[in-house]
Amino acid sequence: MVELDNQKEAPLPSDYNEDSDDSDNTQLSDESDFEDSSADNDSDSSSGSSDSDSKSELEDGPPAQDNSGGDSEEAESQDEDDVKSEGGSEGSDLHQEGGGAESDSSEDEVAPRNTIGEVPLKWYEDEPHIGYDIKGKKIKKKEKEDKLGSFLANVDDSKNWRKIYDEYNDEVVELTKDEIKIVRKLMKNQAPHTDFDPYPTYVDWFKWDDAKHPLSNAPEPKRRFIPSKWEAKKVVQYVRAIRNGSITFDKPKEEDDSYLLWEDDSGLTEKANHLAYVPAPKQKLPGHDESYNPPLEYIPTQEEINSYQLMYEEDRPKFIPKRFTSMRSIPAYENAMKESFERCLDLYLCPRVRRKRLNIDPESLKPKLPNKKELKPYPISCYIEYKGHEGAVTSISVEASGQWMASGSSDGTVRVWEVETGRCLRRWEIGEAVNCVTWNPLPGIHILAVSMGQDVLLLNTGLGDEEEQQRIKELLLVDSPKASDETGKKAPSVTWLKDDNHDGIRLRHLKTVTSVEWHRKGDYFSTVMPADILFKSVLIHQLSKKLSQKLPFNLRGLAVRSTFHPSRSIFFICTKKTVRVYDLLKRKLIKKLDTGLKEASSIAVHPGGDNLIVGSKEGKLCWFDMDLSSKPYKTLKCHPKDINNVVFHRSYPLFASCSDDSTAYVFHGMVYSDLNQNPLIVPLEILRGHENSNGRGETSFCDIVN
Amino acid sequence: MPKHYRPAGKKKEGNAAKFVTRTQALRLLQINLPLFRKLCILKGITPREPKKKFKGNDKTYYHVKDIAFLHHEPLLEMHRAIRVHERKIKKAEAKKNVERANRLREKTPKPKIDRIIRQRYPRFVDALGELDDCLTMVHLFATVPAIEDKKIGVDLVTECRKLAHYWQAFIARTHRLRKTFVSVKGIYYQAEVEGQTITWLTPHALQQVVPDDVDIPTMLNFLQIYQPLLSFVNFHLYHSINLKYPPMLDPELEALALEIYALIRYAHANNKPTIPETSQLVEPEQLESKLDAPEIQNKKSELRLAQLQHQLPSNEPGALMNLVEKAAGEDGEEYDEETKQCKNLFQNVKIFLSREVPRESLLFVIPAFGGMVSWEGKNAPFAESDQSITHQIVDRDAQGHRFLSREYVQPQWVFDCVNARIILPTENYMVGRIPPPHLSPFVDYDEEGSYVPEYAKTIKHLQAAARKEVLPLPGVEKDLEDPQNLLAEGIIDRAAANQAAKEKQKLMVLEKQYHEDLKKELQGDTYTSEGSTIKDKTSTEVIHTGESMKVDTAMLISRKKRKLLEAMEISNKRKQNKYDTIIQRKKKLDEAQNQSS
Repeated sequence: MVELDNQKEAPLPSDYNEDSDDSDNTQLSDESDFEDSSADNDSDSSSGSSDSDSKSELEDGPPAQDNSGGDSEEAESQDEDDVKSEGGSEGSDLHQEGGGAESDSSEDEVAPRNTIGEVPLKWYEDEPHIGYDIKGKKIKKKEKEDKLGSFLANVDDSKNWRKIYDEYNDEVVELTKDEIKIVRKLMKNQAPHTDFDPYPTYVDWFKWDDAKHPLSNAPEPKRRFIPSKWEAKKVVQYVRAIRNGSITFDKPKEEDDSYLLWEDDSGLTEKANHLAYVPAPKQKLPGHDESYNPPLEYIPTQEEINSYQLMYEEDRPKFIPKRFTSMRSIPAYENAMKESFERCLDLYLCPRVRRKRLNIDPESLKPKLPNKKELKPYPISCYIEYKGHEGAVTSISVEASGQWMASGSSDGTVRVWEVETGRCLRRWEIGEAVNCVTWNPLPGIHILAVSMGQDVLLLNTGLGDEEEQQRIKELLLVDSPKASDETGKKAPSVTWLKDDNHDGIRLRHLKTVTSVEWHRKGDYFSTVMPADILFKSVLIHQLSKKLSQKLPFNLRGLAVRSTFHPSRSIFFICTKKTVRVYDLLKRKLIKKLDTGLKEASSIAVHPGGDNLIVGSKEGKLCWFDMDLSSKPYKTLKCHPKDINNVVFHRSYPLFASCSDDSTAYVFHGMVYSDLNQNPLIVPLEILRGHENSNGRGETSFCDIVN
Repeated sequence: MPKHYRPAGKKKEGNAAKFVTRTQALRLLQINLPLFRKLCILKGITPREPKKKFKGNDKTYYHVKDIAFLHHEPLLEMHRAIRVHERKIKKAEAKKNVERANRLREKTPKPKIDRIIRQRYPRFVDALGELDDCLTMVHLFATVPAIEDKKIGVDLVTECRKLAHYWQAFIARTHRLRKTFVSVKGIYYQAEVEGQTITWLTPHALQQVVPDDVDIPTMLNFLQIYQPLLSFVNFHLYHSINLKYPPMLDPELEALALEIYALIRYAHANNKPTIPETSQLVEPEQLESKLDAPEIQNKKSELRLAQLQHQLPSNEPGALMNLVEKAAGEDGEEYDEETKQCKNLFQNVKIFLSREVPRESLLFVIPAFGGMVSWEGKNAPFAESDQSITHQIVDRDAQGHRFLSREYVQPQWVFDCVNARIILPTENYMVGRIPPPHLSPFVDYDEEGSYVPEYAKTIKHLQAAARKEVLPLPGVEKDLEDPQNLLAEGIIDRAAANQAAKEKQKLMVLEKQYHEDLKKELQGDTYTSEGSTIKDKTSTEVIHTGESMKVDTAMLISRKKRKLLEAMEISNKRKQNKYDTIIQRKKKLDEAQNQSS
């Protein structure tokens, strides 16, 4: 109990310090003495310290009764104290002064002890003192050494490990060797005292001197001389069990040694796996740039490296060559593991497909085409420019003889030019944007059909000799009252009127007419009104009888263009998605050609009559071989913008397309008489240089003359 | 009835019958994904690409037969057994029955890989053909630090190291090494074994970092097949040259991390009795008494002999090696032309390695090309002070004594010599100088549009010169460096010829164009003279060039081909761009050099 108290009050080491000084026995006796004396002191002295009160009261429960005995003892103890060392007496002094600790004598010699008790030390953290000594004086904190100093001191001091800082008393205590021993013993849960012997030598207190007989007189049993039956039984049991197989032994550990695995593999040719086995492709072998010391030209400059940052991540080069001046300075490659891992992933996660490595010249992919020089003549360059129109030229047409050309423009004029010279022969002010102009295909009849707005004009160009003029005038004679009669009966789709301004006939339609096409004999011509949703959109007119009739066919789509067969009585109507071919004599549909285009815009028939081309607004050109199939034989994507018109040459195997992108393509399109041979199409030339105007781009009808 | 409708109970048809997705496969096999992956890795099963992906593009498809192949795999059953066993161990551990747990752990069934290897590579050549990845991986794991957390055990690393060394020893012994390349990533080696070209990458002998984003278990799965594969291959190869496998190594050398040297020596020593011993010895009187013995002794005692010889004066193993080399060279029955050439490259060279050079790699390369090599340290065959040393490999300025009898060169010299197959003049590789660029031997200069660095040209000249010479001795062909002289002799390398031809073509094209232009101009003149009323056309109005033709033909071909053509054009352009940038840089460098000089 005493010791426990001591431990609380005073630090452990100092306590043990004393122990080492005095022997145990003496200490114990000392303490008992102290207790007594303190008790006495308390009873004697009036000024009992509050700290020791509790204990003294416990002991001195009945004070009066003990007094007599106590006195006698006191006397004895006093004597003993006197006899004993001064320390004892001093200890008692200390008690009288009311020190909380029933500490031993040597303690107060050291320094004033802190008396604050077991309170959290942080209460004193900010104070200049650490507590109070017995007399109530403040104990000042010692000046702390700076860390460096203390560290240096510690380093120099070999006994540093034994030093402990006592926070309560603000001092450093050094443990002695014995104390360390005790601490160690305590840590091992052994008896703390160093000289305590847990295994003392056995002292045989029994006296054997007069023992004449053994303790037991029994004879040695037989079983000590014969083998054990039980053991034999057990052995037999085990043996049987082993024989039965109920006890098994661990097999000796197998060493997986390698052996000659492919001893005879000469006969094998196939893989066991019957599915096609594709070995993994080998990794790419490194080039010069991966060298540790590549040629200087392989190392990108700093600017180039910086520019990599601007690239897309996929495009960025994965490996940037670096140069090391000696092999010694090559560092470990940081991505080694990662690249190896990625390879592993490729090996087991990627489907393996045998791909033909196309080791071919890109040129060989292109079709073998005849030399362009052999396909001459074809237009190469701009020869003449016909100037005069103020608006975009929407349509041109060349006369049958090839001497004259008519052009219609969005500025509302129609002009006739001499092809060879570029001279403007005549000019009509029509007043409305012209959609289409076409010459009558007969060489003697110089009539020009012009469509603008809802009208179609048949103009006498005034060309040719007297006889021809006479015929033309007869043809263009029209009775206006007759037409008015018809209007009275039913609403006609077309009215034939005499046009006095331009010396011709005006055909008034109900809707806008976009195109006019002549029959090869020059008597009939057809007009197309795409705006007419009903099936009346295509009309056929007869010039000699001044008659118009509707086509009795259901078109299933908006008609865009129409055209006549060059030799037979067949009529083509191009709707937005299909081309319908009708026999006019039998009045029935012969064929339906599926263009596969989104919106067809123009159609032209080969002079042979079996092939036709269709241009579309998405810039595609379809060539149909009508004997072959109803699908296009070839689709050419040539123009980036709408194709406005397509046309065949009258005599040469050429065709052309013109488009909003102000270019015209000229193709060679040879049709062979041998039916087994497919038509040959060769792109020949791009004609550029048309000016753009009106935003929509100049549209020109390109007709090849020579 | 819609086309896709399949009545219940009817069999699937087409792709749906032939392929299963990965999830379906897992359900079929009743295993989890990691095990499935492991099996796929071990059995070499990869996903397939069905023509029609019936479950969507995001799925992985396996062939039904592949899955059936896995289904019948004994390995599957084995893994189930392992799982059961692991549960037992866990239970024992939970009951704190350490003894039982340990015993069980030792008894864990181990899958046997040899059958699978035989299945995957029915012929030895097949195995050799796919050895690249295996070797690269094993060499990588030989340098990886053992990390128990990531299940990279010490045994694994040492095993990998051993296997790699065994392989290298075989290659060096049989002189099968063909090309080497020191790159930033490591050192590439290319060997030719039984007609198969095998390339592998060895990391630099520095500590590898194991990044966190690498899935080590996957790599270990691969190692599980690669290790036995390499071991079996090694066995086969050693068997083919009458050597015991695994070889017994001198423990002393092994302790010094010189396994490769020990192995090479072992291989040489053990092969010796097959060779007639009538050759000239370097030190005949010293060796003769020892050499009589092995003739009569059988194979088992040979190793001891080798070890005995090892304990002899330091010079002797080298001499022994040399002897073996010469003897083998004389009979030379098994060696083809190239191997012979490789073997005799460093024949007259005796090399000493300084401390700072990559010893492991050089100890492999130099003996593979018939050279004698020693190093600083214990058990080295000859000491630095040996007067017969011709070259010393140094990577920094030597502080100590410099011998006048030898040349001090940088390690790159060895690798460049090997790639060029001649002994290059050493003055460019002297210590303290920046060596000439180290070029990759894997670049094919004959390929169109490839750039030929300057140093490649000089090496070519040197090679040509060496071929002409009767005695390819070092330091003789210095007078042949003059390129004009070579040209006069008619030695023009192919690349140069190509270049010349190309330039000629270019000139011709230019000339043609010029003529055409001229013609056109003339025509234009006639036009203008003909039609006086016609306006002059300007050249800007109509542009027709060669390009238009190109555009035209492209639209005639089918879309598939057109796309292909475009892709080809793009890739060609990219190649050309690369080439152009290199040429440009070269030009700039040359300019800078000219300015400074």
